[in-house]
Amino acid sequence: MRKPKHAPGSADLLFEIGTEELPAAYLDGAIAQLGEEAERLLRDSHLTFASVASFGTPRRLTLIVRGLGSLQRNPAEEIRGPSKQAAFNAQGRPTEALKGFLRGRGGTLSQVKTVSTGKGEYVYLVKSERHVPTAQVLPQLLAQLIGRVRCPKMMRWDESGVRFARPIRWLLACYGRTAVRVAAGRLIGGRATRVGGPRQPKPVAVSGVASYLAALKRAGVILDQGRRRARIDQLVKQAAKRQGGVPAPEVVSHGLLDEVTHLVERPVPLVGRFDKKYLVLPRELLLASMAKYQRVFALQTSAGKLLPAFVAILDGTPAKMAQVRRMYEHILNARLADSLLFWEQDHTRLPLAKFGRLRDITFHERLGSMEDKTQRLDKLRRALAEAWQLTDQEQRDLERACLLAKYDLLSSVVREFPTLQGIVGKYYAIASKEPSAVAAAIGEQYLPAGDQLPKTLVGSALALLDKYDTLSSYFAIGIEPTGDQDPFGLRRAAQGVVEVAWAVRKPLPIDRLGGGPRIRAYLAERLYTFAWPAPASAASPERSEGMPPRDLIDAVLSSPWDDLVDAMERIRHLRQLDGNQTLLRAAKVVERTTNILKGASLKQDRVDPSRFQEPLERELWQRYDAQKDRIGELIRGRAYAEATKAYGETFFEPLHEFFERVMVNVQDEALQQNRLALMNAIKVLYTDHVADLSKLAILQSTLPSSRKEP
Amino acid sequence: MSVTLQRLIRTLDTFWEKQGCLIVQPYDVEMGAGTFHPATFFGALGKDPRRVAYVQPSRRPTDGRYADNPLRMQRYYQYQVLVKPTPDDIQPLYLDSLRACGITLEEHDVRFVQDDWESPTLGAWGLGWEVWLDSLEATQFTYFQQVGGMDLDSVSCEITYGLERIAMFASGIRDIYRLQGSRYNFEAADIGLYQDLFQRHEREAGRLLDEELLLPAYEQLLKCSHTFNLLDARGAVSQSDRPRFILRIRTLAKRCAELYLAKHDEKA
Repeated sequence: MRKPKHAPGSADLLFEIGTEELPAAYLDGAIAQLGEEAERLLRDSHLTFASVASFGTPRRLTLIVRGLGSLQRNPAEEIRGPSKQAAFNAQGRPTEALKGFLRGRGGTLSQVKTVSTGKGEYVYLVKSERHVPTAQVLPQLLAQLIGRVRCPKMMRWDESGVRFARPIRWLLACYGRTAVRVAAGRLIGGRATRVGGPRQPKPVAVSGVASYLAALKRAGVILDQGRRRARIDQLVKQAAKRQGGVPAPEVVSHGLLDEVTHLVERPVPLVGRFDKKYLVLPRELLLASMAKYQRVFALQTSAGKLLPAFVAILDGTPAKMAQVRRMYEHILNARLADSLLFWEQDHTRLPLAKFGRLRDITFHERLGSMEDKTQRLDKLRRALAEAWQLTDQEQRDLERACLLAKYDLLSSVVREFPTLQGIVGKYYAIASKEPSAVAAAIGEQYLPAGDQLPKTLVGSALALLDKYDTLSSYFAIGIEPTGDQDPFGLRRAAQGVVEVAWAVRKPLPIDRLGGGPRIRAYLAERLYTFAWPAPASAASPERSEGMPPRDLIDAVLSSPWDDLVDAMERIRHLRQLDGNQTLLRAAKVVERTTNILKGASLKQDRVDPSRFQEPLERELWQRYDAQKDRIGELIRGRAYAEATKAYGETFFEPLHEFFERVMVNVQDEALQQNRLALMNAIKVLYTDHVADLSKLAILQSTLPSSRKEP
Repeated sequence: MSVTLQRLIRTLDTFWEKQGCLIVQPYDVEMGAGTFHPATFFGALGKDPRRVAYVQPSRRPTDGRYADNPLRMQRYYQYQVLVKPTPDDIQPLYLDSLRACGITLEEHDVRFVQDDWESPTLGAWGLGWEVWLDSLEATQFTYFQQVGGMDLDSVSCEITYGLERIAMFASGIRDIYRLQGSRYNFEAADIGLYQDLFQRHEREAGRLLDEELLLPAYEQLLKCSHTFNLLDARGAVSQSDRPRFILRIRTLAKRCAELYLAKHDEKA
């Protein structure tokens, strides 16, 4: 019987890395890498598959590859090695260089040939097409995969030197129903998983993907992180409902739900209560106290008032639930007693301005203390107040807010809950009888956060100044973010500056704020990195229009701009025209005038109408003369879409005709210069004020290419 | 049956002795945590297997301010285990030790929550968890990666039981003891005296290291560390001074570690 030539079958691959509890913050990254790296390795190894999916809980990372082909098909290839001279010694024996090359590429001496190339004779390793059963390839491949899951902090735990986020304690690997003997350190892959949590780890034998998933399900483990999150969300909501409330929305926006999803694999809810007397604490402080240590969910009434109750998510069901609840309640009450103590202690030290000495808090050892930072803010605020045309009252409020902004860093509450900086300052400013605008601004200084932006103008000003100062101070001492290294959060600070200025649509006067070209460029680069015009958020992705296309940003930033917010406004307008004939026509005008000016040297800066010879150039000029004020007016009024439309309508057709019939680069230099000046006038009317549309990608694709000038 | 502190210590001693641990005595110098005990600091260095357990009274002057919180005390007892190299079943072994203490784990919510440990003054760090019993932080569980600023030849596991907390948990007593506040640490300690002491202990440690007197030098380091903690609680260490203080102690820790390894190699 003849064997079929094609696919000799496929099977599913199951791979589970069993660990001691992985840090919750690492899990999403590790799960994603497991999937992505597996795909990469499979492709690089010439293996075929139908799909790859990865999952994880604190105790396991799991890879499921469906329809993994049973044969690795290595194509024939020739790999160049060392030169013949380096490969063989005088006796014609292979050198270390050649041996090393063969070892590295998995070849033997018999597969070597020499070939003369333009650069001399070289050794080539000739590999013919080879088929290897996938089962043979997998142990090595999966071992490699383990090494590719990188976490922010890695560790060793035994003398094997294997590194991972936490110790690996078992490996489960099945291809079809057969165990894959993958090795990592002292471990060898088998066909058993473990369930039951840390209390009672039980090995369970599995025979493939289906029996594995069934085993986990029986043990109450929700492997799929998305489903686990949804389940916890549901459990918390149900428990809240029984208490006559709903979960506080911050548990989602502040990331608690995400964290808890990765703290358990068998979620079980527990409802508890705390002493009502702690409800005098501000909401943020209560929520922080509940989330920071015990990771419990706060509940509120439908009207938004916090309830003296919480929901904890346990891992598995303990036999004595009532006892567990008492301990949770006891500990939460103790934590809240601390918080109340800090809160009351701080109040005895008010007013805020007398809290202590800002110079005792370091901002950065080379940039001085918070007192130095406060003084810098005070200087910067004047330039911003002027650019934003703040009223006298707003200026006074901003001055006061700058002065008091950092005092809450001296409070006990912020020392215990650093994330409450600013928020605590707001409460203490109110208690110190500061004007409400000042208190609000202090509370908003660290925004944007999540999808929250400052709501007040003075708050926006302070939020912008604080970040701008951080950015420019670090840049001034040569600290800039590189690659994924950004220990001082400068990328975020820069984005915050842009977001805040954009949200209030007020100018961002980089020059007046004392930023050099480096800051200007860095802030402009942010336009490529986040979704605007509307701020994006996980809670409301529909509000975001996503990132503007790169070429559009390129086009606007290539034309002169003083104020980044104005540049953003241009981008927003042009984006509304995206994919529209209007934009294409204007772009065409810019492209053609740009191209003709490219090779030529323009020496004449004004058009001289007396030198016109052709009616077409006269007509073009008349159009220019008639429309330039209107277009200029539209630009000054920031009606950039209208301006673009008017520009395209005015010039597209006459310019097309002009290029059909009139030669620009003629022998007569005076005539040529005059025509170039005309082209330049038309071009800069737009590109000096709006955008260099010749950068747009649509010019490459949609329109028939423009005729080349002879 | 209530679980007294003394019975708990006896139980843990017995349990870990069976696991081959040498049971040693508390070190009689004030320290902030059991890790500072020479049995752990030096025990974690080098390749030789080491299993040791002991009680160490620990002083954390800054924790005295939590007047109403029965879970935080400025003086408390840690039960400390150091196992090197780390056996594969160290986590189940630890859970067995809790069972031995009379805790029926099946009745409780037991969790290992990431808590990476670092002691900048000792130049030491490790990865691990705080272990929760019904959300009570009962134990710090750490795989050491570096001590005295040096990568470790062999990874130790350090298990630090919060004795009072576990006793409280096991016996169901809620409050351990009411604290009398700690006016001394926060208000009365003489800053000038402690600043002076810090310098003298530091100088003495340096001199002793020059003379290769390891343990006496290490004791001076412990005194530096405790003096620093007191100054800190007293509010006499500004944020900009703090890194310098820490660096000064870490420099001593590194020298101690180096001297220990050098002497060790000599012997071998």
